[in-house]
Amino acid sequence: MLAEGKLKQLTQLVENFSKEELIWVNGYLVGLSANGGVQPKISTNGTAKVSKISIVFGTETGNSKRLATLLATAAKKQGIQVKLIASDQYRTSDLEKEEFLFVVISTHGDGEPPASARAFYDYIHQSRSNLVHLKYGILALGDSSYPQYCKTGIEVDQQLEFLGGKRILSLQKCDVDYEEDAQQWIEQVLNIVGQNSDDILPGSSPSLKTKTKTGKKFYNGIIRKNINLNDRGSKKQTFHIEIDSDEMINYEVGDAMGIIPSNKKIMVDLILYYAGVDKDLIVETDKKTGTVEELLINHLNICYLLPSAIAKYATITQQEIPDTRIDLVDLLELYPLGDASQIKDVIKILSPIAPRLYSISSSPVAHGENEIHLTVSRHSFKVNEEQRFGLCSDFLGELPIGTALNFYIHKNRFFKLPDVKRDVIMIGPGTGIAPFRAFLAERDAIGAEGRNWLFFGDQHFTTDFLYQAELQNLNHTGVLSKISLAFSRDQPEKKYVQHKIVEEGHDLFDWIQNGASVYLCGTKDPNSVDIEKALLQVIRDHGQLSAAASKNYLAQLEQENRFVKDVY
Amino acid sequence: MSKEQKLSPVERIKTESNGLRGTLKESLQDEITGALREDDQSLIKLHGMYQQDDRDRREDRNDKKLEWLYSYMVRLRLPGGFMKPEQYEGLHHIAGEHSTGIIKITTRQTIQLHGIIKSHLKPTLKSFDSLHLDSIAACGDVNRNVICSAYPDQSALHHQISQYADKISLMTLPKTRAYYEIWLDEEPLIDKREDDPLYQDRYLPRKFKIAIAIPPNNDVDVFTNDIGLIAIVEDQQLKGFNISVGGGLGTTHGNDQTYPRLGTVIGFIDSEDKVLKAVYETITIQRDYGDRADRKLARLKYTIDRLGVEMFKKELEQRCGFALEEAQPFEFTERKDYYGWHQNHDGNWHYTLFVENGRIFDSEQAALKTALFEIALSRNANFRFTGNQNVILSDIAEANKKGVEKILRQYGLEEHTTNAGAVRKNAMACVALNTCPLALAEAQRYLPSLISKIEPILIKYNLQEEEISLRMTGCPNGCARPYAAEIGLVGTALGKYNLHIGGDRLGERLNTKFMDNLDEEQILQTLDGLFEIYSGEKNTNETFGDFSHRKWIANN
Ligand code: SRM
Ligand SMILES: Cc1cc2nc3c(=O)[nH]c(=O)nc-3n(C[C@H](O)[C@H](O)[C@H](O)COP(=O)(O)OP(=O)(O)OC[C@H]3O[C@@H](n4cnc5c(N)ncnc54)[C@H](O)[C@@H]3O)c2cc1C
Ligand SMILES: Cc1cc2nc3c(=O)[nH]c(=O)nc-3n(C[C@H](O)[C@H](O)[C@H](O)COP(=O)(O)O)c2cc1C
Ligand code: SF4
Repeated sequence: MLAEGKLKQLTQLVENFSKEELIWVNGYLVGLSANGGVQPKISTNGTAKVSKISIVFGTETGNSKRLATLLATAAKKQGIQVKLIASDQYRTSDLEKEEFLFVVISTHGDGEPPASARAFYDYIHQSRSNLVHLKYGILALGDSSYPQYCKTGIEVDQQLEFLGGKRILSLQKCDVDYEEDAQQWIEQVLNIVGQNSDDILPGSSPSLKTKTKTGKKFYNGIIRKNINLNDRGSKKQTFHIEIDSDEMINYEVGDAMGIIPSNKKIMVDLILYYAGVDKDLIVETDKKTGTVEELLINHLNICYLLPSAIAKYATITQQEIPDTRIDLVDLLELYPLGDASQIKDVIKILSPIAPRLYSISSSPVAHGENEIHLTVSRHSFKVNEEQRFGLCSDFLGELPIGTALNFYIHKNRFFKLPDVKRDVIMIGPGTGIAPFRAFLAERDAIGAEGRNWLFFGDQHFTTDFLYQAELQNLNHTGVLSKISLAFSRDQPEKKYVQHKIVEEGHDLFDWIQNGASVYLCGTKDPNSVDIEKALLQVIRDHGQLSAAASKNYLAQLEQENRFVKDVY
Repeated sequence: MSKEQKLSPVERIKTESNGLRGTLKESLQDEITGALREDDQSLIKLHGMYQQDDRDRREDRNDKKLEWLYSYMVRLRLPGGFMKPEQYEGLHHIAGEHSTGIIKITTRQTIQLHGIIKSHLKPTLKSFDSLHLDSIAACGDVNRNVICSAYPDQSALHHQISQYADKISLMTLPKTRAYYEIWLDEEPLIDKREDDPLYQDRYLPRKFKIAIAIPPNNDVDVFTNDIGLIAIVEDQQLKGFNISVGGGLGTTHGNDQTYPRLGTVIGFIDSEDKVLKAVYETITIQRDYGDRADRKLARLKYTIDRLGVEMFKKELEQRCGFALEEAQPFEFTERKDYYGWHQNHDGNWHYTLFVENGRIFDSEQAALKTALFEIALSRNANFRFTGNQNVILSDIAEANKKGVEKILRQYGLEEHTTNAGAVRKNAMACVALNTCPLALAEAQRYLPSLISKIEPILIKYNLQEEEISLRMTGCPNGCARPYAAEIGLVGTALGKYNLHIGGDRLGERLNTKFMDNLDEEQILQTLDGLFEIYSGEKNTNETFGDFSHRKWIANN
């Protein structure tokens, strides 16, 4: 119920509004209340205009950057002076001078900041600077299926406050379907700093925002094929997995598949044995209730527990435990439960199993919309001299034909094929080849006339040449115009894709000058880092550019989405 | 139909190859495949190599979306099968670095390495070159490795006679520099095409083989060669050679125009010049008269039977410009390797080592490969490979004998050689699976175990001392000369063999097919039956070959 005066003000205010404007204001007000309203006492006190804002983004796969850019464009439209900057470019010493700072930042790894935001993140956690002048707002990107949902954003939000900054709108978390939440946040920002809020976002008429959230769609698939592509004698195991679904799978080449693996039954048996509890004991977490066995196999992460979880375990079982990361089994063996009943509390401290992403190596056009392929390398590593295998890649590799598998599609807006006429350069050592198998199949199927050049590398020609036979056919039919290969261990001196790139520098630069788009996929370390260096060298040598100029050249390509990375 | 069209495809490939160069350089640079371009696969043979693939792995590789496991077999040109210890040492390393590691002694006194992948070919041939070894013309439609009786103690003249192998080999080398350009990075000659009066640009219609035998041992199976030279020695003097022409064994199942044939002795030649000339002109006749349309009928044996021996002889004498003398009498009394220690006319020693099917590798029983390597390192012996896939450690000075003996003992090679049964020691099997693309059945991977099952039967009839020659091949091409054996087993399909009997022990009479498509059980039963009758009815010193010929072949 509104007081007389206020209602009067409101009616006056809206009397000459258009229908659209009224609908929009309606949505806006809802948004306001949803976010606890605008603090009334901000220095702009409603009417006064903000002349200058800074927008910092921390991104791994580009979403945050995209949203930050949307905000910047909209703000500029309102005559606000905007400094849009990537977190790794940001001079942290400027923080104290900032007046209005908006941060768009995602969370990666086990709740870690994007690599490029590490320095920024560490700075605000270590610095003692006093940010009395700072007014800020945070947009946190994340994925609610990860245990540490939007952790980085949350921490940045808290930390800036701790350093004396003033939060002028409450933290907005965004899940994978972030469009709508992000837009509302942007509009609130504009409302606070801007004057009138008509035509805020290019092409975002208010009515758009009434669309409801889609959430994450899970498909139930059936394993149709699961073959190890590496031949005898190889040190690698790379599984080509074909999955069918009755339902049409909504994906495009360049997207990834998200999978939540199950834990190994023997592991769970061991856990129950050490804990001395019955597998049918009913336990509950804030998300689920079920038998302890069911939860441990399908829902809770028991591998490589976070230090925080281990600390909690220490408290529950009242033991001194150094802060490390180990598997739950080892924890229970080394530091047994006081008594079996403690398992109920231990279950509560376990976070859900995190999804893993895998580049999709099929094309809906070429392979049909009910089929989807993966190229999964069995991830192996050593834990004090003992050979271990990654949970999900091992799980997938062992899936027999006919087993059911749930998955979702993780869209990648940026890793997309260019116009059919453009040339494409694909650099994908190891499993990096996965999306390019999809690219080639798609370009073949739609008869794209642009040329295709693939760089691939692995250890041995005879055992590790992933999809060799398919690539040979594409090469014969002319779809694969050029292929450059580097097998590191077939000659005395090691030879990698980056060496091949430098060797082919002349042609490569030619293609790029011709408008080719360059795609890079595969593991960060080793690979993508050195490959990017090699690309810079090629640009330097064949474009006769200075080191700095070639950096800009590559940056420019990245701007135009002609140099796109999907590295992990 | 014009003559051109009738030519077999290989003919075009040879003539258009620009001196055997083809597109080999380009083929080697195709990174995406381990194979060569179609035509180059034929050409590379004339460089001594074969493109092969591991036939055991085909299906599996298909599933893995990998091409077949292509690799290359390299066959050395090694006239007379002679190798210095330095060279053997190098060979050992090359085998380890680039091939499967198994060193294979062939039925023509040379060495083959298998499983060399494309990117390793040039390094392999460069390493061989640094040892003064090459593989030029070891395969393909040219004169192949010239073989010569391996036994230094056969005659004081062995050295003089074996020189002919080198001379003939050099005389018949193709003149093109392609080998040096492609494999050893020699600078190509500017627009000067080497002309080759012997091979021209057509080369021969088919492979061509020459052997030199020193009676009384026919260890080289001289009559199975296109040209056989039989040394005629009188009171320690080399008088000259009888020349035999038109030997060859290859046949094709279901093609009765094809047949094995033993060479025909057409005369005697005294001087070296004349011998070389006669060899040269025999090759030119085959070059000009051989069938270039049907490769199955292209060997000299068919050319001669088409022309008729007399006609052929006339043509030869005319091309030589001299007449052949009447063939001199000679006698072969054996066709075998003399295992163990023997002393030469010059007092040096040699030791003949049993190498089952010519495969040199370390097994639990005998560390052959290691032992031979150490002997090579000691530099105390030369290596002579025999036509029966064994090796002679030769020219060992009295003083060094002990050293060699010690190594042989240390690695159990003396027992290995002495303990092997008579049949096993005189048996041969070809390569066949898994590398030979023409194989229909197993051979060298299978014969050893089959013999282990035959031995008890021999013992049962007290025949274990009989040096019956048993030879097995994986197909009718005859690479282990099964038609010139007392018992021939010729593969027809996996696990199935035709049984041939009635050949003599000396390689002077071919055997005859006795039964078709036997599996192991049937082979053993049949042999059991034959041996029983043989042991009961044979005349004294009558070989199994002669007996079975008399009993089951001659009058049937
Ligand atoms: C290695 C060897 C058998 C062995 O275990 O030692 C061998 C192995 C092959 N022979 Fe042979 N032949 C070998 C001695 C023979 C002999 C025996 C001899 O020459 O004393 C013969 C019978 C005599 C003759 O030539 O008539 C022989 C008659 C053939 C034939 C049939 C030729 C014909 O006239 O029909 C072929 C098939 C062809 O040439 O088309 C053949 C073809 C082959 C090939 C190259 C298969 C191919 O053409 O792709 C085999 C390679 C298998 C591999 O993986 O190594 N090989 N081949 C012998 C190498 C000799 C050498 O050092 O040059
Ligand atoms: C966009 C994207 C696309 C991708 N595409 C592909 C693809 O196409 N193909 C592909 O094979 N992969 C791909 N990946 C990588 C994949 O998502 C997984 O990261 C990879 O398979 C490893 O997961 P895992 O569950 O097998 O290993 P995990 O079990 O998650 O182990 C990962 C790491 O955790 C540590 N660790 C785990 N347990 C322990 C322990 N007990 N003690 C000590 N350390 C431990 C180790 O350092 C190990 O390396 C992609 C990733 C991304 C982000
Ligand atoms: C490897 C990987 C790990 C991730 N880990 C988390 C996480 O721990 N918590 C979370 O909320 N989101 C996590 N996410 C989801 C991302 O934050 C989400 O995809 C976001 O949209 C990425 O934004 P960006 O493109 O700006 O980096 C993860 C994504 C990936 C690819
Ligand atoms: S005989 Fe046949 S199977 Fe044996 S090596 Fe010769 S061609 Fe191959």
